[in-house]
Amino acid sequence: MNAKQRLGFATQADAARAEAARTDEQREPLASLPLPAPTRDTADALRNLRELGVCVIPELLTREQLRRAHDAMYLAAEDDAKRGRAQHGFGLDVDERNLRVWNLLNRDPVFSDLVEHPVAMELVRATLGWPALLSNISGNITGPGTSRGVLHADQIFVPEPWSAAPQGMNVAWCIDDFTLENGATQVVVGSHHWNRMPTEADADVRMVSVEAPAGSAIAFESRIWHRTGANTSRDKRRAAVFPFYTTPIYRTQENWFLSLSPGVANAASETLLTLLAYKSDGFGLVYGRSPR
Amino acid sequence: MLRVPDSEVPRALEETSATGVAVIAGVLPQSDSLATRAALVEAAAESERRGVSTFMPVLDPNAANVRVFNLLDLHPIFRELILHPLAVALVRAVLGEHFAISNFTANIARPGSRSMSLHSDQALVAPEPWLAPWSMNIIWCLDDVTAENGGTLYLPGSHRFTRRDELPANPLAHMQPFIAPRGSIVVMDGRVWHTSGANVTADVERALLFGYYSADFLRPQTNFNVMLSEATKAQLSPELFALLGLGRDGNTRVAGEILGERPRPWVRA
Repeated sequence: MNAKQRLGFATQADAARAEAARTDEQREPLASLPLPAPTRDTADALRNLRELGVCVIPELLTREQLRRAHDAMYLAAEDDAKRGRAQHGFGLDVDERNLRVWNLLNRDPVFSDLVEHPVAMELVRATLGWPALLSNISGNITGPGTSRGVLHADQIFVPEPWSAAPQGMNVAWCIDDFTLENGATQVVVGSHHWNRMPTEADADVRMVSVEAPAGSAIAFESRIWHRTGANTSRDKRRAAVFPFYTTPIYRTQENWFLSLSPGVANAASETLLTLLAYKSDGFGLVYGRSPR
Repeated sequence: MLRVPDSEVPRALEETSATGVAVIAGVLPQSDSLATRAALVEAAAESERRGVSTFMPVLDPNAANVRVFNLLDLHPIFRELILHPLAVALVRAVLGEHFAISNFTANIARPGSRSMSLHSDQALVAPEPWLAPWSMNIIWCLDDVTAENGGTLYLPGSHRFTRRDELPANPLAHMQPFIAPRGSIVVMDGRVWHTSGANVTADVERALLFGYYSADFLRPQTNFNVMLSEATKAQLSPELFALLGLGRDGNTRVAGEILGERPRPWVRA
């Protein structure tokens, strides 16, 4: 199966049904709305997230946080490479030049700070409610020559038809500047209103690249269609951190109780323990009570 | 070896599809029912010994309802029962190939135990609309279950409600108890609105085991990673280990199937 075929998310019949269900307006080549202007105002950001499915909060990390995250991310990638554990060719990537760095919480405490950054938490609480879960956190380093990734929406595991609310969201952090040239994430602004996965028929959807300076947060809810952009530069790497949050009813993509270093859990704040399901309510109980 | 005729499975599935609930009698022979019940009594005592109360004020209005959690850790008999071939066949038929074990608990309704509040297991957690079963119960009847001793009350056909506003004005007026002899199992779609019945008898206990299964993308009710002892984990078959969510794969199956055959090591310490 080649990359193009893999781009099909559903059977032909599903694609045909989705096509038939589109309004005339949508049947014209699907296209992204324009990106909202970056804003540091949380109320504006939340309105963008609600109405457009995406918001950009520029240069939110302190200089020190950014330096630390940058160093830790590239160090982790280097460590993986030295130990023969570097992971290229992930399912969402179409070639071997995009590097994924897993389990960032075990690598450096700065990644815990990103996960529970107060602004990220405000967006998560407003979008998903509380408690929410951290489903997964990965790093993505796009190297020179990386092709664009596979078009998808993150709530891929929720059976369609979807309910009217997002079941998850990303609050991604730009560790390097995100530029058109170095593989800035591409999104279809407003695609959450279609409330479905993209299919093969959507391959030509017009997307926009989210350009933003290092230290910015890019939040997008889980129904937004997106992919890694192509890195067409000769020599620039582009790193980002992708914490993915869900409402508390879903199984996490990462089994934290297996993969998280005990020391990280011991040092975690109440907020982080909740996100990692060590504090729980209704689900994930132990003898009917929270594990901690 | 199944003790019930092959025709019972399609019959029960048809009834589950029609009403949300079906009873299959005679799944456990009398001797197995009694042995399982004895194991449950042991498990309840062991649970108390470990300092875990069998009274759950959150769920039940009084202590006559005895709850036993962590059956899988407390006695090996329950690790067999949760994967009973008939139960698994029914679960696969209702939820599909990809399911998880969400919980396995017991509820002994002693005389005087009162009703929980009306709920559907799926509606408690999953967003509307509820178009397909995302969870279900296989209930093991270790005693004869009657209307008087706390047989679960359910609203027939309520698994078809896709939204909360489809509930009738006075649902309690239309509830029925399921009635089943000792050794039966009851299949219940996760969307069925139900409540435990009150045990109004003077001296009859009613023990039920609730094997609760869900679609594999849902978070289990119980965190088996923490709940099960290392000794128990070491004894689990690979199948049970995976179904309890103890492995590394997490909620990655759907994405993996769709995105292709490349390796997906999500978990790397």
